[in-house]
Amino acid sequence: MDDFQAVRDLPILIGAFFVLTAAIGVVRFPDLYSRLHASSKLVTLGSAGIFLGVAFALNDAAAFTRLAAVLLFQFLTTPLSAYLIAQAAYLRGLPPILGDGQGGGTDEWGALGRADEVAQADREALRVLAEEGLVDEG
Amino acid sequence: MSRLTLVCLLAVVWALLLGEPGVRNLVVGLGLGVLIVRLFPRAVGARAAPRGAPDLRATLRRGAGWLAFLGFFLRELTVANVQVALLALRPRPRLNPMIVEVPLRLRGEGLLTLLSASITLMPGTVTVGLSRDRHTLYAHAIGTADAEAARASIVRVEGYLLALDTPLPFPPTGGPA
Repeated sequence: MDDFQAVRDLPILIGAFFVLTAAIGVVRFPDLYSRLHASSKLVTLGSAGIFLGVAFALNDAAAFTRLAAVLLFQFLTTPLSAYLIAQAAYLRGLPPILGDGQGGGTDEWGALGRADEVAQADREALRVLAEEGLVDEG
Repeated sequence: MSRLTLVCLLAVVWALLLGEPGVRNLVVGLGLGVLIVRLFPRAVGARAAPRGAPDLRATLRRGAGWLAFLGFFLRELTVANVQVALLALRPRPRLNPMIVEVPLRLRGEGLLTLLSASITLMPGTVTVGLSRDRHTLYAHAIGTADAEAARASIVRVEGYLLALDTPLPFPPTGGPA
């Protein structure tokens, strides 16, 4: 291991650890909503660690600036896709598994009771976008 | 956010992506930024800069607010990752999943977008929906003791964003672009 470089390999190891736990979480957590916690949070930091290690390995200014841009977009887009998946699942009527016998565990959104309200809001948003000519109607 | 700020931001992102923040790339980036803001005024929602002299005090205060939020965000992101990693590895994790309802004081599409995105990356919570009037946020929570604790962590994020109540590049709810 004479070519081990802490500054280069440590971020990659830490990143790989988080990506691994993300995979384990996705398999072990009970439902889609819980799994999103693993796939959004852990993958964000995990890939950030791997990117950082790669940038150190390349040891090039351009690699660091691209890394910054990539991280920026990752922080912007990962939550967005998690949000879309969660909301789509809820609106399609996938009930979340609630509680595990201790405290809390409620669905304050109302057991899909307000899904209609959200679906209505989505239709409204689509109508506004269509009026602006940004999407095709229907 | 004013159009000028947005164009400068786009130029910086462009230079970062090319990997060489030289003068030429920044100039090309500025050109592209102007083009994008001109072509998609509604999509990016940039406003013209406010008239009159810029309020330096307010700008500095906002800058400090952004830095405070960034520090808070990075700290919480780390905590969130360790927490979810522990839950994933523990033999019998106490997930205690639930969906909580949080009344919002924060207004403005841009800041609300930032809030929902941050919550997804912060400990215990993932954003699932916003009410139609944008006054209520629904989040899925795991690893928190009860609904009150989950709500408190979201209200804490909101507190940081309330201090920056200048709209991001999106029109405010219901208002004209």
